[in-house]
Amino acid sequence: MIEINTPISEEVIANLKVGDMVYISGRIFCGRDAVLPKIVKMTEDGTESELGVSLQGGVIFHTANSIAGVGPTSSNKLEIESSMEPLSKAGIKLHLGKGAIHPETVEALDKYNAVFAVIPPVTALLGDKTSSQELVAFPELGMEAFYQLEVDRYPAIIAAAHGRSIY
Amino acid sequence: MDNEHIIELVKNTLVAAGSTFKQDKKDAYKKAIDKETNEQAKWVLETILENAEAAQKNQSPLCDDSGIPHLVLEVGPNAAVTGNMLEAIKTGVKEGLRKLPGRPMGIMGNDSERIDQSGGLNPDSAGVEAAPILIRQTSEDVVRLHILMFGGGPAIRAKTYRVFHKHNTQVVLDEIVKWSIEATAQLGCTPCTLAVGVGRSHYEASSMMLQALVDGTYDRQSDMEQEITKRVNEANIGPLGLHGDTTVLATFMKVGPQRASGVRVVCVRPCCCFEPRIATVDLV
Repeated sequence: MIEINTPISEEVIANLKVGDMVYISGRIFCGRDAVLPKIVKMTEDGTESELGVSLQGGVIFHTANSIAGVGPTSSNKLEIESSMEPLSKAGIKLHLGKGAIHPETVEALDKYNAVFAVIPPVTALLGDKTSSQELVAFPELGMEAFYQLEVDRYPAIIAAAHGRSIY
Repeated sequence: MDNEHIIELVKNTLVAAGSTFKQDKKDAYKKAIDKETNEQAKWVLETILENAEAAQKNQSPLCDDSGIPHLVLEVGPNAAVTGNMLEAIKTGVKEGLRKLPGRPMGIMGNDSERIDQSGGLNPDSAGVEAAPILIRQTSEDVVRLHILMFGGGPAIRAKTYRVFHKHNTQVVLDEIVKWSIEATAQLGCTPCTLAVGVGRSHYEASSMMLQALVDGTYDRQSDMEQEITKRVNEANIGPLGLHGDTTVLATFMKVGPQRASGVRVVCVRPCCCFEPRIATVDLV
């Protein structure tokens, strides 16, 4: 298993390959269908500094955040997958979710030296590996708001990197 | 049995459905782990089983998509179901959702607002309403409630559609296998349990699919169920789509009455790695 800590450097991403099994630790963002298009819009408008956090070297976990815990939703849902290219352009290095993504997205990730990893939907185990959570933006979206978590060794497998995909 | 007792039983049964693997499913995972030849696939299967043990111990959700309650009520020949009993079941479901706790994902608002999600989310876990209850008869003298928790991923990939059978069962099986391979390749939460219903209408096919999940077992599979499982596994999609031998753990299939016609209506739900999340209780 490869240990990855956030913020993730360009070099760490450059050395990852499809099939690598990794542990992710540090602060990671959570977002899914409702909020990711809003974050993309902020990066396009140049207003992402209003979030009060840096996206550089970041991880976005495609999940809701509720009292039931966290767990990956399908990354190939339209509003989620379409966020991966612009958010990579804005500095996100690792998109964490589940499900096959399209070849065009795999190419787009490569363009910005970003990767896609899949995480088993193991909510009960992830609860033990999450030490804190903080609401970052869009509280009106409830469980679909933009959150930041402090995590310790979330397990994942690199599913798309450098123009290649495991699917 | 008084209503308070029913509420308590239903509450605890819902928590069990959302947090517990039945023994035959645990055994199916153990068998799959032993047989799996792909390193990453084996690791995923082990992690899912480890998660199930943790969820059962904590009585906490197996998955953050804790699911929409789907209820099947079996009524014996001398048993009676009253409106009060149905109300107690409804209350028990609400209390169970709060205890689990279920994800607060009930959408508020009028018809249009519930479609486009502009009415906001109900912050109460109990704001998630159960689907309409399916009632069927049983020869046992009981009122038996099965609670199933349905996640969103399988709902995205499920399909209910007509198949022209050409008076050949194999034609229908071929179509089920084709749909299942398409669905499991996109699902992301494999290994699946495939739930299949065959009926005369979309409603009946979906109802058969639901009953298949109630009646199905991992250790007893019909020839048709075994064929579907085997052929979908040959597609090498594997756990989380990472390839390997285990795309499907088993198929649960129920064939209802059929119409004198060239058409069968088939419902296929690619249940995720945790489904069927099911628990059962006798209320009488």
